[in-house]
Amino acid sequence: MVSDKVRDAMQHPRIRLLTGAVLRGLSGGPGDFRVEIVREPRYVDAERCIACGLCSEVCPTDPKAIYLPKPDAVPLVHVLDDRFCLRARGKNCELCQEVCPTEAIEFNRKRQEEDLNVGAIVVATGFEVFDAREKGSLGYGRYSNVLTGLDLEHMFRRKGELRLPGNDKEPESIAFIQCVGSRDEGHVYCSHVCCKYAMKLAALIRHQSLDTKVTIFYIDLQTAGKGFARFFDDYRGDIRFVRGVPVEILQTASGELEVKFEDISQGKVCRDTFDLVVLSVGISPRTDSWDLARILGIDMADDGFFDTATSVGSNDTGVGGIFLAGTCQGPKDIADSVAHGIGAASRVMELLGMPVQADG
Amino acid sequence: MHGRIVAFCCERSAYPAADLAGRLGLHCPDSLRVIRVPCAGRVDVIHIMRAFETGASAVMVLGCEEGACHHITGNTRARERVRYSETLLKEIGITNRAVLMVNISPNAPHKFVRAVGEANKLVEDLREAK
Amino acid sequence: MSVNDMEVRTGVFICNCGQSMKNIDFDALAKKAASVPGVISVTLSSDLCLDEGMKRMISLIRDGSVNRVVIAACSPDSKEHIFRHVLETAGLNGNLLSVANIREQCAWAHKGDVTGKAEELVRMAADRARLLRPVERRELPVNPDVLVVGGGFSALSTALGLSAVGLRTTVLEREAIPGTGTGDKENLQGFDVGSVIAAAERDANIDILTSARIVAVEGVLGDYTVTISKDGAEISRRCGAIVLATGFRTQLAPGSDMPIDDQVASGARVVSQEQLVCMLNNSVLDARPRTVGFVFDLADDSSRYTTLATLNNALAVRARWGSEVYVICRDVKVDSEGAERMYQSARECGVVFLKCDSALKIAVDNGRIAVEARDVFLGEDIVVSCDLLVAEELPFAADGAEVLGSLSGVRMDSRGFYQDENVHLYPVGSDRKGVFCVGGCRGNPDIVRVLADVSSVVASICGLLSPGHIEADIEKVKVDPQKCVACLTCIRVCPHSAIQLMRVEDGKDAAVISDLACDACGVCAAICPAKAIEFEGYRDDEIAAQLEAIGEACMGG
Repeated sequence: MVSDKVRDAMQHPRIRLLTGAVLRGLSGGPGDFRVEIVREPRYVDAERCIACGLCSEVCPTDPKAIYLPKPDAVPLVHVLDDRFCLRARGKNCELCQEVCPTEAIEFNRKRQEEDLNVGAIVVATGFEVFDAREKGSLGYGRYSNVLTGLDLEHMFRRKGELRLPGNDKEPESIAFIQCVGSRDEGHVYCSHVCCKYAMKLAALIRHQSLDTKVTIFYIDLQTAGKGFARFFDDYRGDIRFVRGVPVEILQTASGELEVKFEDISQGKVCRDTFDLVVLSVGISPRTDSWDLARILGIDMADDGFFDTATSVGSNDTGVGGIFLAGTCQGPKDIADSVAHGIGAASRVMELLGMPVQADG
Repeated sequence: MHGRIVAFCCERSAYPAADLAGRLGLHCPDSLRVIRVPCAGRVDVIHIMRAFETGASAVMVLGCEEGACHHITGNTRARERVRYSETLLKEIGITNRAVLMVNISPNAPHKFVRAVGEANKLVEDLREAK
Repeated sequence: MSVNDMEVRTGVFICNCGQSMKNIDFDALAKKAASVPGVISVTLSSDLCLDEGMKRMISLIRDGSVNRVVIAACSPDSKEHIFRHVLETAGLNGNLLSVANIREQCAWAHKGDVTGKAEELVRMAADRARLLRPVERRELPVNPDVLVVGGGFSALSTALGLSAVGLRTTVLEREAIPGTGTGDKENLQGFDVGSVIAAAERDANIDILTSARIVAVEGVLGDYTVTISKDGAEISRRCGAIVLATGFRTQLAPGSDMPIDDQVASGARVVSQEQLVCMLNNSVLDARPRTVGFVFDLADDSSRYTTLATLNNALAVRARWGSEVYVICRDVKVDSEGAERMYQSARECGVVFLKCDSALKIAVDNGRIAVEARDVFLGEDIVVSCDLLVAEELPFAADGAEVLGSLSGVRMDSRGFYQDENVHLYPVGSDRKGVFCVGGCRGNPDIVRVLADVSSVVASICGLLSPGHIEADIEKVKVDPQKCVACLTCIRVCPHSAIQLMRVEDGKDAAVISDLACDACGVCAAICPAKAIEFEGYRDDEIAAQLEAIGEACMGG
């Protein structure tokens, strides 16, 4: 879905997509901004790479330093990660460049600077996924069978099915823990998407194997929204819902995961074991938002997202000509992000003026 | 190369799923021949029958998941036509051909490969049954 | 080089993607391609999609008087648009292109006889190419005026937004006064409906018609004719786009209400959120209720609006009356901006939230209202006695929404709200191009989403209509009036209301497909009993040609 939109944007005659680009400076005002851009070197020329894969085949490092980021990447081009690349680290290896049929790889690239003159600016920098390692007691990063919802999604995409990372077997019991990084002290908001994606993943799991038992630990189930309530109803009977979010996960000697939670209906602390625990991580503001806010002169809200000047959820910042679109302004699901994004376009149209021509 | 599988693939669902399968290196039987259509609803009984007439052992019609058809009922119409084609084949007395309807989303390459594999197995079983 | 030449001259361009497809014998493939009827040249390349490759293709097309192009390369999904552009640069219509996917769906997809399959794919593409016909693309003029149905907050905000980008709107309000149906819903959420109405009434680009209802909608995107009944007479307006902004209404959930006699007898009251707001704003209130109860999310899940209203009002009750406040609900729906903070504030100032999970029982007990439910945390039934109960409300589309929907070609979803064209990607669109739905009428009653809908639809319509024309394929899908028997099947079946019955010639009526509204799905072409509809690129003979190419290879081995 995202790929289609990116592809449409890339093909549009009036849209120029600059990758590896960072905003470094701003001057001017609405209708006439001067923006300083810096572009980090991109070793693989996106306009010449035909995604044939020969470079990856010959790359000697593990993990591969040159690779296709994902099979439906748009643009469908390879990228070089200079953390793993031998050449980038000063060693003598140019195997990928030698084998590339279109001369798309160039190691001696420099950072480029470019100034743009634009009438309006839309900030659509998105979000970061909450780093589950911050909740150390949940075991993410320590136990191989504690995954985030995103990890699970990737696994379904790459492998087409769910297997335990530890031993590649099918899990028999899975626990989802909601609100990891949402609705807590550091994040006084609901991330909008976690209940939905957890249910979706639970449905995929049940589809793979009806014997797998799924338990969802939650605070309040966010089932509002088009079609979701029906989706939840369809699967409610298949899943055990426990009201109460666990705070600790430990690995037993046999490798199972023991989840400690307060079972409110029984009024006491319980322990249940599962083969796999999935943490429904939330939407966090990007940590580099502050830099951008400083350069643009826009405000940050308490929760770390960009602040809106006028009303709740609007596209306006306090600065004329600079607008917000999407989750950089606050958590949203896909439909809300799209609507917000198109809304930003309407603010730009209003500012820059849309000449109306009626033919006849 | 016997036992051609002709698959009418909707350009919003099955076609991108098939591409994705290729990029992931997932293999499927080389008897597959894909005909790209804008919507499964473009496929009519006459096309399915023509596919058999011209030698296909199995015909698949692949469209979007239920409720997800951009043209609303394209996939349901296709399903009806596949069902009708099945009836027609029976009436004519043809027992060694298979026609299938598959609902799929564009990011389900594994499902695509599995569906083609199932069609292929059907074709082999039917050939053996003869 | 005329494409109307009877002689088809097909140029085949095969790309080996930088020689990376090692399992295809390209020489054999090129040789086989050269033997296909109609093919006059076969070119083998390693970089067709790059500048050099494209330049070569352009000169080969021109020099060789090629009038059909087959490209055997990677998936058309990634590169077809580039190759169409190449054709156009070379002077050929972009539709005279047929792509064979020999990479993702051939070289990369199989282990067996990949060359054999590639040969067949090229044959299929070439046989189809012989039958391709050009399709022109032209700018078609559109009417930039907009019609908005509804006269409340979302409707007038939309009209104001459109005015700000220079578009003129006619607003249809069915009551005598704009905003009648809105009530206090937006005021509840901190927005002043009155000022929006006043601004719209002052705006020179906005024409508000009251006591006006839609009677009929004809036409397509860019050219709608709407018949309106106003004050007993029928008038007509033309516009390029229509926005349904008819809002929503609420109804107390079944079982949440109490007979009015019981209420009067007991002195206790069951009210709606709006009624509560009235009471809160009424400074001359006799007795402040000692205990106020709120109920939401028990009968129905779609409780974003009621969660927000409850949180707002619970805080207001605590602040203004100091009453004890109990909230009975299943889940608090906090997936709206600011909701979690309000939830925290409410708890901090003493509002008690009781999470319950079963149907409610309401009865009068000792002059007060007793609300009984099963508390999830206690695991037992509880009874909350209150003097004022703000009952659960369910949101519904406004009365008559379904009739309006069927007049406009918009479906209803499972909850009786307008169905989005694509729930994720295009929330304010409907299945009919040029008809949009915003706000409560499509099931989004909470204010932030209403506002997002409004700005979203303003941008969409502005982008569509402001230029004064829209580019469209001309007669890509066409009805042959000679064969058409006016059975109306295609008209009924078209998902996008793109087909109309028109007088075509010699007094004959036939179906005519609008180029602007057509979404090129082919459902009509498949269903037409007279086979009168041709869909360029996917005609029956084009599909048959591909099937026959497969068949020939099958037989030939």
